[in-house]
Amino acid sequence: MATFGSADIMLGATDDISRIQLFDGPLEIGWHHCAMTADFVGELFAIRVGEASPDYREIRHSIGYLVNELIENAVKFRAPGIIAVEAAMRDGTFRVKVSNQVDRDTAARFQGLILEITDGDPGDLLIRRIEANAADPTYSGSGLGLLTLMSDYGARLAWVFNPSADGSRVFIETHAILPVVAPVAH
Amino acid sequence: MEIKTGDFRVWDEGSTIYFDGIMRLSGSEAYAPILDLMMNVLASGASTVTLNLTDLEFLNSSGINLLAKFTIETRRHPEVQLVVRGAQSVPWQSKSLRNLQKLHPSVTLLVD
Repeated sequence: MATFGSADIMLGATDDISRIQLFDGPLEIGWHHCAMTADFVGELFAIRVGEASPDYREIRHSIGYLVNELIENAVKFRAPGIIAVEAAMRDGTFRVKVSNQVDRDTAARFQGLILEITDGDPGDLLIRRIEANAADPTYSGSGLGLLTLMSDYGARLAWVFNPSADGSRVFIETHAILPVVAPVAH
Repeated sequence: MEIKTGDFRVWDEGSTIYFDGIMRLSGSEAYAPILDLMMNVLASGASTVTLNLTDLEFLNSSGINLLAKFTIETRRHPEVQLVVRGAQSVPWQSKSLRNLQKLHPSVTLLVD
């Protein structure tokens, strides 16, 4: 197992967790499931502050943006299998974990990317990566979504990599926490 | 020219490019037709090019990268003034548009 980022970012056993699973077979997971699922999670958590709240729009949008970026990555890079989204709100902070499987090479490349995008100020790294991306058309642009989350939204991220028993696949958990404006009451 | 789907519409009027709706396309290739539209306006010889984003409610990071790429392209045209018009009430704009000014300090950012 390999972990990146601080343990306090990770979703805990004591959290009151809502779960969504996207199954490959019947759903034929596609791009539109990213937005659909992210919008649902954003609405699910924002509605708790009430639509009349001045924070409602901001919370719904920020959670929607965060979850959409994480599911987009899961859909883009995954090996066939379930994508799980688990989310909770604790002390005014939205917490989410997105789990999926990737092949071994993808996992190794992603670990390299994580080291690059966490090595310095996210705002500076974002600008540098955008510049590199524009200068080289073959550059994939990977990591820009994660950097906007850290730089523009103040999200903190952590990752857990677990190889499958036969070593051919790696289970990836991406954890994120996002401070939202107001504490949440039912 | 106009690009329209069920979720969004992008079109140009003179040297202003309007964006409306929600754009969450899958990456640079999917955004390429929109970049082409923008580049055509940039190549038209106008002294000011305006991106009007006020009605663009949601944009994913690949779309933000599209705006960033276009901003970098305009650096190569110092005779063209790039104006970016946004809305403070649209969360992604209040958070991410300032990055365009970091890429190109002479961009005029009008976020009402």
